[in-house]
Amino acid sequence: MIARTSPIVSLAVRAVTPIALVAAAYVLFAGHNQPGGGFAAGLMLGAVIVLRTVAGLQQPKYASVWLSVGGVIAGVVAIAPMFWGEPMLDQVVVSWDVPLLGTVKTGSALLFDLGVVAIVVGLVLALLDGLDATSLVDRGRAASPDERSDRGARA
Amino acid sequence: MIWFLLALHTVVVVAIAVVGRRLARGALWLAAVPMAVTAVWSATRVGSSDAITAGFQWVPGLDVAIEFRVDAMSSLLSLLVSGIGALVCVYAYGYFSPGATSIGRFAATLLAFSTAMVGLVWANSVWTLFIFWELTSITSFLLVGFKHADPVARTAARRALVITAAGGLSLLAGFVLFVDAAGTALLSEITPITGSTANAAAILILVAAATKSAQFPFHVWLPGAMAAPTPVSAYLHSATMVKAGVILVAVIAPAFQDTDIWKPLGLSFGLVTMVWGAVGALRHVDAKLILAWGTVSQLGLLITLLAVGTPKATFAAISILVAHAVFKAALFMVVGEVDVRTGTRNINELSGLRRSMPVTFVVAVLSGASMAGIPPLLGFPAKEAAIEAALGLSGGEFLVVGGLIIGGSVLTVAYTTRLLIGMFGSSEPMVDRDVTPRRPAMSGPEVILAGASLLGFVALGWVTGIVRPAVVTVSPKAEVYSLLRWPGLTDAFVTSAVVVAIGLVIGALLARRHVVSGPVARGAANVDWIIDGVGRVARQVAARVQHGSLPLYLATTVLVVCAAAVPFVGQIDADTLYWWDNRAEAVLVLMIVAAAVSATQVSSRLGAALVLGGVGFSVAGLFVAHGAPDLVLTQLLVETVIVVGFVVGLGRLATSFPTPTRLWTAGRVVIAGAMGTAVAVALAGSAGTPVGEAPVRELARTAQDDGGGKNVVNVILTDTRALDTFGEVIVLMVVAVGILTLSTKRGRGKVTR
Repeated sequence: MIARTSPIVSLAVRAVTPIALVAAAYVLFAGHNQPGGGFAAGLMLGAVIVLRTVAGLQQPKYASVWLSVGGVIAGVVAIAPMFWGEPMLDQVVVSWDVPLLGTVKTGSALLFDLGVVAIVVGLVLALLDGLDATSLVDRGRAASPDERSDRGARA
Repeated sequence: MIWFLLALHTVVVVAIAVVGRRLARGALWLAAVPMAVTAVWSATRVGSSDAITAGFQWVPGLDVAIEFRVDAMSSLLSLLVSGIGALVCVYAYGYFSPGATSIGRFAATLLAFSTAMVGLVWANSVWTLFIFWELTSITSFLLVGFKHADPVARTAARRALVITAAGGLSLLAGFVLFVDAAGTALLSEITPITGSTANAAAILILVAAATKSAQFPFHVWLPGAMAAPTPVSAYLHSATMVKAGVILVAVIAPAFQDTDIWKPLGLSFGLVTMVWGAVGALRHVDAKLILAWGTVSQLGLLITLLAVGTPKATFAAISILVAHAVFKAALFMVVGEVDVRTGTRNINELSGLRRSMPVTFVVAVLSGASMAGIPPLLGFPAKEAAIEAALGLSGGEFLVVGGLIIGGSVLTVAYTTRLLIGMFGSSEPMVDRDVTPRRPAMSGPEVILAGASLLGFVALGWVTGIVRPAVVTVSPKAEVYSLLRWPGLTDAFVTSAVVVAIGLVIGALLARRHVVSGPVARGAANVDWIIDGVGRVARQVAARVQHGSLPLYLATTVLVVCAAAVPFVGQIDADTLYWWDNRAEAVLVLMIVAAAVSATQVSSRLGAALVLGGVGFSVAGLFVAHGAPDLVLTQLLVETVIVVGFVVGLGRLATSFPTPTRLWTAGRVVIAGAMGTAVAVALAGSAGTPVGEAPVRELARTAQDDGGGKNVVNVILTDTRALDTFGEVIVLMVVAVGILTLSTKRGRGKVTR
């Protein structure tokens, strides 16, 4: 495992994780008025997950859960307006006043974007699972004792 | 009430599907509840001349509506469907042993099928009818293939599905033409239509009915469907599935009565099926197959009578339909009970069951007599009506149709006699230890159905009172006819007396003849050969097209793209082309080209991946130069994930590329060059022909108001064109599911390297 052999990688990835999470959340919310959105936020999370998997900090699990949750959210947001006689995927915009932040405006598009985030994360997890990333990382670990003994021999 | 009952069915189906495993055989009782409720409600409606309707517009633009209409006809049919359904549930409780598995699945599927059938008989719009028609095909496929571990059952189920689904397609086409010609999709508003469209519709709809109602040559699925558990056969092949085609022909006949093709085609289907089915019933030794072929024959008779189309014949057809549903369900139940209690259905091995299974014997004799048309049972007046209708024909029609109907009746009596003697006759009874104890849950429904055949004759006035209004809905002139308990010494009575006498003799003679085994199902084998053949050809074609070579796939894709770019060549307008908007672009393009070229020269895979990443990041730079921050963000993130992903994936491959041959290199250069040229040509061509104002201005205006956001790109993604995004998201999901499926398989195989 890279994390075991390289504390720098492990530490860096650990340190980056919360920052990337906040950044992803920001990108998701900012998407309405500035660059960003569900796809970008999902990719940020995805990048973190790839890093953590490569570093051996986590395993690519629950891809199907992310996918199904995302699919359900997006599907519900898509179909729900039809129950009120509106066209499919019609937007509902709500705004309310939050202390400190001022007026926050959001809409069903944000929910839809959340669904997109979940699906993108699910896709990344599925890819990692499909590439069998964990076993690659394990192979690195299996190789590491030999490397160490090599180094010892040289020393 | 219509909505309530359909909803009740659906809710119980879901409930059983969810908790059925825990209920075991109790699920069957639960499944019987909606059927019983529907049967009782139908019983209160039968015979009344007013109709209840329910419905809503489904696709208003295409005038496709969900419409139900419960009138005298549909309530009579739903009484049969649901009443016999409830009895079959009870019977199945006895049929399956307490330890049997998957009873929940069975009960849920049976009820789902019943729901589809009820929807079908209540449907008033042809589109509604079509939907439920297809649902019966699918659910019956599941029922026939219930023993899915048995290859015979699987093949039989597949055969049934392919034949009936093909009929479904024919039906859809027929309905489209029918609605076009008739101007209405409502069955209650049918008027006679003629012309070539009507002829085509008549053929298509008749073929569809023939597949469902097992008319020659589509009948081959029905005997095979005997692979299903007997409760399924008792339900599908008495009152429901196979009657769907007959019902369709009955309700839609008024529209096609005047077309040239309806009657001859219907008669050919019906007459051939009637005779061939009866012959089949005489040749088999498996009691269940005898009944199956008998059913084929009876369906032929029904189609024949409906195709004749006189009020008297239609009246006879509906009467026989009712009588047949009752006695055939009982007979299938009898065979199932014999099978369960003795372990065999072969009439060679069965003997003398009248002593060891007295109740079953009485049921079998009553129901068999009803099938043969012997008084005092419901089958007798129904058969009388049919023979009277046959004798009422004139000229060549009398000779052919009348002759064959009477001949068919003789054969019906003969195979009934042979079946009863085979199972219950003979001097040496099977000893008691060969016969397991009686199961009340099986005898109950049998006795009720046999009693119904008997009571139907006793209370013939009531039966006439419910059958006649039903017939009147499709053939108004039939209101003068009645079912008669004692018609007097008419020609028809004398004829049927002779028919019964001859039939009894033939049957008794044939029962003595020892047939070792039944005929081979050659028709079914042919159908299987066709289905398998299609599968083989498809596999060969797929093996050619889906060869699995990534370079060839890529080359194919590129060639198609190049072909698509050709039309743009003519549209290139040199005046609209210029080198750059600002010089930074030139630098970035140089970077891209340099990175792309070096990617072809790097020998290590990891190096190539990184250089390709350089291409992607440079493209992101181009987006910056054009002022598209959203694209930049997305492009950077995608590139990052891809490069990291490459690094992860490359662990599986050798570190260096294999040494290329000269041809290989040349091929790649050509393909890469072609792709580059094609994209450049397409872009240049489309740049030359801008159409109208750029849509971005309009989008920018509406983004704030409609989408409530300042970022136009994202408003497009999540609001204006949200449906596109939704589609793309679904594509992502499909890809992910594909990856998961493939990787799971590999994980199980454990042959990673």
